[in-house]
Amino acid sequence: MSDQATQAPVKAQSPQAPVKAQSPLSEAWDMFKHNHAAMLGLVLLVIIILGAVFGPYLYPGEPFEMVWAPFTPPGTDGYLLGTDYLGRDLLAQIIHGSRVTLIIGLSAAIVTVVIGVTIGALAGFYRGMVEEALMRFTEFFQVLPTLLFSMVIVALFGASLPMITLAIGIVSWTAVARITRSEFLRIRELEYVMASRASGASNAKLMFKVILPNALPPIIVQSALMVGSAILFEAGLSFLGLTDPNVISWGQIIGSNRQYILESSFTVTIPGLAIFITVLAISLVGDGLNDALNPKLRKR
Amino acid sequence: MEPLLKVENLRIELKTRAGVAPVIDNLNFELGRNESISFVGESGCGKSMTALALMGLLPEGIGRIASGKIIFDGEDLTQASESRLRDLRGNEISMIFQEPMTSLNPVYTVGEQIAEVLREHQNLSKPAAHKAAIELLDAVRIPNPQSRVDDYPFQMSGGQRQRVMIAIALACKPKILIADEPTTALDVTVQAQIFDLLRDLREQTGTSIIMITHDMGAVAEMAERMIVMYAGRKAEEGPVQQIIEHARHPYTKGLISCVPHIMADPAFEREELTEITGIVPGLGSFGQDKCLFSERCSMVTDQCLGARPPEVDFPNGQSAACWRAEEV
Amino acid sequence: MSELLEIENLSVRFPLRKSGGAFGAKTYLTAVDSVNFTVKKGETLAIVGESGSGKTTAALAIARLAAGETTGEVRLEGKDILPLSQDDLKAMRRKVQVIFQDPYSSLNPRQRAEDIVREPLDSLTDKTSAEKDVIVDELFAAVGLRPEQKRLFPHQFSGGQRQRIGIARALSTRPEVIICDEPVSALDVAVQAQILNLLRRLQADFGLTYLFISHDLGVVQHMCDSVAVMYMGKIVEHADRISLFANPSHPYTAALLSAVPSVDARRREETKRILIPGDPPDPLNMPPGCRFASRCPVAEARCSQIEPELKPVADGQSVACLLREKG
Repeated sequence: MSDQATQAPVKAQSPQAPVKAQSPLSEAWDMFKHNHAAMLGLVLLVIIILGAVFGPYLYPGEPFEMVWAPFTPPGTDGYLLGTDYLGRDLLAQIIHGSRVTLIIGLSAAIVTVVIGVTIGALAGFYRGMVEEALMRFTEFFQVLPTLLFSMVIVALFGASLPMITLAIGIVSWTAVARITRSEFLRIRELEYVMASRASGASNAKLMFKVILPNALPPIIVQSALMVGSAILFEAGLSFLGLTDPNVISWGQIIGSNRQYILESSFTVTIPGLAIFITVLAISLVGDGLNDALNPKLRKR
Repeated sequence: MEPLLKVENLRIELKTRAGVAPVIDNLNFELGRNESISFVGESGCGKSMTALALMGLLPEGIGRIASGKIIFDGEDLTQASESRLRDLRGNEISMIFQEPMTSLNPVYTVGEQIAEVLREHQNLSKPAAHKAAIELLDAVRIPNPQSRVDDYPFQMSGGQRQRVMIAIALACKPKILIADEPTTALDVTVQAQIFDLLRDLREQTGTSIIMITHDMGAVAEMAERMIVMYAGRKAEEGPVQQIIEHARHPYTKGLISCVPHIMADPAFEREELTEITGIVPGLGSFGQDKCLFSERCSMVTDQCLGARPPEVDFPNGQSAACWRAEEV
Repeated sequence: MSELLEIENLSVRFPLRKSGGAFGAKTYLTAVDSVNFTVKKGETLAIVGESGSGKTTAALAIARLAAGETTGEVRLEGKDILPLSQDDLKAMRRKVQVIFQDPYSSLNPRQRAEDIVREPLDSLTDKTSAEKDVIVDELFAAVGLRPEQKRLFPHQFSGGQRQRIGIARALSTRPEVIICDEPVSALDVAVQAQILNLLRRLQADFGLTYLFISHDLGVVQHMCDSVAVMYMGKIVEHADRISLFANPSHPYTAALLSAVPSVDARRREETKRILIPGDPPDPLNMPPGCRFASRCPVAEARCSQIEPELKPVADGQSVACLLREKG
């Protein structure tokens, strides 16, 4: 029944209005548009990103400068979000910190996707010994205690921004690898892959031009969610004081104020709320993407 | 005598993105005791929807019976409560499905699945149900039923699983067995076995059979009467052999002649097959006041586009919903 | 040369790993077992059989697309194509193309219709972009699609139209042989006729040779010049169309034919249904002798010991059955 609706009523003989060539992508956007929660997430995310990009110019406060009495509550003396334990402007910290937080989230997700997709694609496409070896390798990383392992990396190689990003990426690529592999295993058996083979396509073309684009939807969803979890991860590392104290991020604000959580809880809750809203927005967008890109839910 | 099943002016509406569409549009038919009828048509014509409506299994929240009656053994099923329908399902009216690979639960043995139905509807004790399951497996001609009763579905071939499905469907000696494309997924030699089995079981138990199919050959083998559905409406109804020899609806005619049949004498000139151009319209076009087949019909006139054709009854028991039925 | 395609002792087997993980002993599932046949230029040979008969595997092996280990010889215009390396396959792929069974999965959902049809030209030929455009336009017309549909994506077409795209793709390199793997079995009955008529028209127009894989004997009877019947990886009967349908010689062919339900009342009366009980043997544990012996209604004791060979019994008809051997 349902597939009847997907069949455009076009016919060589009947002079009907031509159907618009709607690409799978624009169709997915149509689906996404109608998902209110996902749109809310997208709007939030756009606001956060705009704030990170233009905020420092619009609100030229210095995040590391002590400007007022410590623990000034939000809204008093002209400081919208108050000041922290050293009397630094929390709003300036949040705005400046958002850049680092988002950059770490995004680049850690990119590291995750690059490693995960490469390994998953090779394992899913070649099967046999290659698959065995790569999947054992993946399982090895999967059973490592992630926080501990990233702490070791940071402790050994220093707490610079790229190293933190890399550490988060290295401990979290396994999920992407498994998803990519299972998609490759499924798609490589479909007839259009064999049709491409019959048309003379090389292995590289089959992998990257035929299978990968069709495997993307769940990978995109997973990497969107990965941005959120990378932000949380960075917050965790910062909280433990394992990140660069000279670079301000939301997690770092929480980490540095953690001793005063009982007396002046706002210094911790405000950056915490910022993380919460951002990760929530990313999750909403991720879920929306999942619905929009999942062909089984389409056209209901 | 009252027919076993009488469907009157049945209209089933399905919610789609674009609005509400009548997937079944004013359907009337009767089914006698121990009779076998077939619903024929392309996919998307409402055959399976009819079956689901009879079972009270329309997709919840999406499909509903908008009007009409389904009178089974004197009782109107459209007014029956959910618990009453549950009582009837699998007991008085059973159904077998197209896909024998997925319609059995893989974590229970076939014996447990047959016994479950008996315990549910007939309150048999566990050992009695088990014994009955073995007898049923024997009845559907599964060799060594004593040992096969403890097999899991994956240990059986497609044909055997479909036999198990039939055993489950017939466990409570239903008055009506609905078979929705029961052999489409099976090989032709296995199909022959299943048809043979269904014919014999019908003779022994007196069950009425409603078979849904797109294969005119299968209809000719299995049914006495057929109903041809098109776009949610009945296009033609009548005795099978009569319709095959002289269909009164252009769609029926097309359905019969578009398939290459094996004839008694293979040495005939193979001409081009008659095509029915185009495809079944989408749900959005259902329910219009015109002949929905008109856009694919070679005999179309202005009248066909102006109003829905009424059913024309012929003295030989055939009826066709076509403005030009007399000429076909 | 009249024999376009010669298949000699073609076997395809798939390695299966036994329990015991990576180091367990290997067993093999032989899907196609020493199959021999030839196809003349311009004719249609149908390979019929039920699921598990190996018909699709055999066809894919001929197109060098089977995943298993392939042995024997597949000669196209006298040249064996099985030893060719991936790089040398291009010329062969230009000449042998495939139409797939399921039009819903055989088209890449992310490609536009025109790009799907163009793909073999891109990978297998050195034609210029302008030349390819002309070919694509011609093919769209030849298979009955409108030019403005070129930009659409597969999901915007009906099943029959998708299969037309698949056919256009197979035609793009002007192949000699097209392997049709159950080309209509996934389509609605009314659409099947459209595609079958198209295939016959194209065969006449382009001088094509078809290897037609099907389980539907009605379709086979309509499309082919000769038929090879496969059972459990072996050809049990190979004959021209009329001999096979009028006078099936192998007990399996006879049972298969008698099982097809018919609208022809005369045929229903004349043919006695031959029911073959049980299921085919386990392909991993093939019994000795004739593979059909366990289900054969006329089997004798020797049938389960001696394996029959495909031998001619009449003009244009060969059968692998001990009971049909002369003398």
